[in-house]
Amino acid sequence: MRPPLFIFFSLLWFVCHSQIVEAQKDSAKVEDLDEVIVTATRTERQLSSLPLPVTLVGKEQLQQTGVIRLNEILSEQTGIIMVPDFTVGGQEGVQIQGISSDYVLVLIDGVPVVGRSSGNLDLSRLAVGNIKQIEVVKGPSSSLFGSEALGGVINIITEKPSSDSISGNASHRAESFNGQNTTVSLGQQLNRVGYSFFADRLSTDGFDLSPVLEGQTNAPFSSYTLHGRVFFDASEKLSFFGSARYFQRDFDVDPNTSAEEEGNLHIRADHDPSDKVTFQYELYYTNYVTDELSVDPIDDTVLFQNDFDQRLLRPEVRFSYQLSRKGTLTSGVGVNFEKLSRTLFADDVSFDSQYAFTQYDYQPTKKLNVIVGARFDNHSEYNSQFSPKLSVRYQVTDELALKGSVGSGFKAPDFRQLYLDFTNALGGGYSVFGKEVEVVGIQRLADAGNILTDSNGDLALQVPPEDLGEPLSAESSVGYNLGLSCTAGGFKGSVNAFRNDFKDLIDTQVIATKSNGANVFGYINRARVYFQGVELDMSYRLLENLRVSAGYQLLYAYDKDIEDQVEAGAFARDPVTNESIRISSSEYFGLENRSRHTINGKLFLEAPKWQANANLRVIYRSKYGLTDTNGNGFLDDYDTSFADGFAIANFSAAKTLFKNYQLQIGANNLFNFKGTNPISSTLNDGTFNRTLLDPGRRLFTRLTIQF
Amino acid sequence: MMKTIKLLALFGFALFLASCNNDDDGLAEFTITSINPTSGTVGTEVIITGADFPMDASAIDISFGGVSATITSTSATQIVTSVPSGATSGEVEIVANGFTRSATNDFTVLSERVSATVSNLHAPATGGFGADTTGPFTKFDFETGMKTDSDTEWDIAFRTTQIIVNGGTSLGTDSEPERNGNAAAVIIDGLFDEVAVAPAVSEFAQDSAEGWAITASSDQGWYNYNFMTNVVSPLPGKVLVFRTRDGKYAKVEILSYYKDAPVQPDGFVDEARYYTFKYVYNPNDGETSLQ
Repeated sequence: MRPPLFIFFSLLWFVCHSQIVEAQKDSAKVEDLDEVIVTATRTERQLSSLPLPVTLVGKEQLQQTGVIRLNEILSEQTGIIMVPDFTVGGQEGVQIQGISSDYVLVLIDGVPVVGRSSGNLDLSRLAVGNIKQIEVVKGPSSSLFGSEALGGVINIITEKPSSDSISGNASHRAESFNGQNTTVSLGQQLNRVGYSFFADRLSTDGFDLSPVLEGQTNAPFSSYTLHGRVFFDASEKLSFFGSARYFQRDFDVDPNTSAEEEGNLHIRADHDPSDKVTFQYELYYTNYVTDELSVDPIDDTVLFQNDFDQRLLRPEVRFSYQLSRKGTLTSGVGVNFEKLSRTLFADDVSFDSQYAFTQYDYQPTKKLNVIVGARFDNHSEYNSQFSPKLSVRYQVTDELALKGSVGSGFKAPDFRQLYLDFTNALGGGYSVFGKEVEVVGIQRLADAGNILTDSNGDLALQVPPEDLGEPLSAESSVGYNLGLSCTAGGFKGSVNAFRNDFKDLIDTQVIATKSNGANVFGYINRARVYFQGVELDMSYRLLENLRVSAGYQLLYAYDKDIEDQVEAGAFARDPVTNESIRISSSEYFGLENRSRHTINGKLFLEAPKWQANANLRVIYRSKYGLTDTNGNGFLDDYDTSFADGFAIANFSAAKTLFKNYQLQIGANNLFNFKGTNPISSTLNDGTFNRTLLDPGRRLFTRLTIQF
Repeated sequence: MMKTIKLLALFGFALFLASCNNDDDGLAEFTITSINPTSGTVGTEVIITGADFPMDASAIDISFGGVSATITSTSATQIVTSVPSGATSGEVEIVANGFTRSATNDFTVLSERVSATVSNLHAPATGGFGADTTGPFTKFDFETGMKTDSDTEWDIAFRTTQIIVNGGTSLGTDSEPERNGNAAAVIIDGLFDEVAVAPAVSEFAQDSAEGWAITASSDQGWYNYNFMTNVVSPLPGKVLVFRTRDGKYAKVEILSYYKDAPVQPDGFVDEARYYTFKYVYNPNDGETSLQ
């Protein structure tokens, strides 16, 4: 039933071959190949020469599409989608090759962004106004970056000033729902000193995806980003870089408040004692704070308070040595000091880890490139990790290259899984304990007489007593990528088959039962899942000023244990009679929130004569399910939480006026798709509580002044 | 020549038939050797084996506890009949050829298994949603197929997602009723229709101070709680088999925990704590058949 891989490879081969013939005929110019990226190897490498699947989003695309936040532009790339979490008005998370946000590392200039909510990193925190490019390396990269780099690494590379006079731009953008975005960006590179400054303010009235119910699902907010950087070249061989970034956002849902703040401080010294040797000394500090307060509108009592304060301090030293013309050795060592205080934790918690990595980038012949690397992470709270990776690229012909890689990834148990101490007062009185506090937590409940005991008076645990407090292992994966890429004339294409096997995923399990019947949950390394599929990317310069591109991802994402369970015999519920039925293996739909097919198509048009450009981008995702609704614990064809496939079209056009002014207009979700969330239901009074998937068309206009 | 042989053969065959007939013409005494099964509900097919039964069904009169039954087929050694409506337990009697004979075993007429669906059995609590669940249980009696307030005449009882049986001892939660029967429960994986008989006695558990026979927590007993949708779903493929307080058996499939059993309950809107379940109850003492 699954289409064989060779179909995709043959398709690319066929298109590529026809382009080669075409290119020879009219000797069209070969596309520029000077795109350089740093995330794949932590050294500067030409994009086209890399043995890994990499997506690069350049400044031009950011500007022409008129996007202002990272999530908007990522969702238009092949194999990358933004998925809302299940809750209405909940956060969006990125998904790469089907792998969720929890397992994707996000970096700014090579250093990590922290502050996740339930594992999800909100990418709308990241403004794109001062970005040179966004690099996305797909597949596990823990061999270089350590924890969280399983599904991929997103690295935001900020722009360096280049002009010796003060230059920059200021812009204002107004959007539907009273979205107001003002940015100022300026910079200067003098002889040895450079600096840049970026400020961004974004506010919106928010919108309501559930109009029937009282209140607004997406609250109004205002946010500020300030980012200043300095560059200093002390000598030919020594340069310094410093960056300070601050982000603040206030949500306003009267009478509740919610605020978040993020600060990053990044200092780096680059020392090149010789042509062949480079040292980088880096110090990074970041702090993410949220204060969430929900109060009763009648009597002002506090219903919910969640304070979250996470800090990370990381010194790192990197060393790069060009052994010969054929090989470069890169190594690094560093330490992470992490600290978190949170309302739901018993105490402030901190842990630290030390790591070392090394990588050898070897080019024995012109056609062959081999990169082998590994990293070792030693952690205070869980077992240490060794993460190797091997990547190979072979240039078959001038146009065709074959690349393959295999690597491992891991994700450390997070603070929540280690330290959460939570009893839900609203949802049935269940409790959840992190691994490090479960022994104490159970004891506390037992002392209060809240845990069932057996006839001997011992606690009636649902796990062997010796398992309580046993350390968790890191979640880990092995990822394989095999691809073929083609560059011929105005055509660029690539096909990449991937498979990611995850094991030891941390899941909750019942560890004891309370005397009120509610469960006490703990965490356990248990689940095994896999993500498998193919990505196909093609881009073609149709005319001198018209580029079209298309991307497709086919995805199979399943839980292996559920596959076994269904194989052995599992049940669902007939959606008409409510009666139990047996289901077959083919009726297991796979993991939640995954679409089998995602497609994007883009059209970029430039009219230099009029100093104008326009573009249309369409993204499609096929049917996906949100959650099990019939109690068997997995998504099957009988569940009622499936959203139909849908497409969203985004359009924008810009024209330069009077040399220094640019006016841009656009429409996101041009065709006003709203969708219906499958969890919408009919209320007791008979009204249909339609919950939308999207707030609908958002028009915007932006005026930019260059100076 | 050929013609003569054919005629002779025909004559001989006729003579043979006539002689057979002659034997039965006399009022032969028949015998009953067995009856199978020896118990069953009205309509159950019953085979009576013996010898020298009359070939003509109209010449035979069978009765179950005095109520006449219809004969489906008959031969010299076997009579097939079925338990007549209104039959009572007791002798199976055959009258034919002027003789009256009773089967060696009495026949027990079983009560019909009851197959029914209970809708919107309300199982409220005063606490719950975080606080200890308190307040009285809603009791149910399989014999009447109704909820009951009796302190003794109940088999199972519900309070929110908690299900207890009238057998064993109390766990000691607030307002938990005293157990004065011998009820027990077991959960079987499978479809409702596939559970043809109650399992062995050793499979059943009773409530105790260590926990109830049916664990009242998500995925451990009869339901799953999805905290994203706030919905309690009965686990599909779980059949609850009960022994009642007085040693009878019933099987139950819970269909819904929400009022009017919506196909797609909304955990934030639909009223919870309303059980809809279907059951088959075998009202015959110790009879395990649940088909």
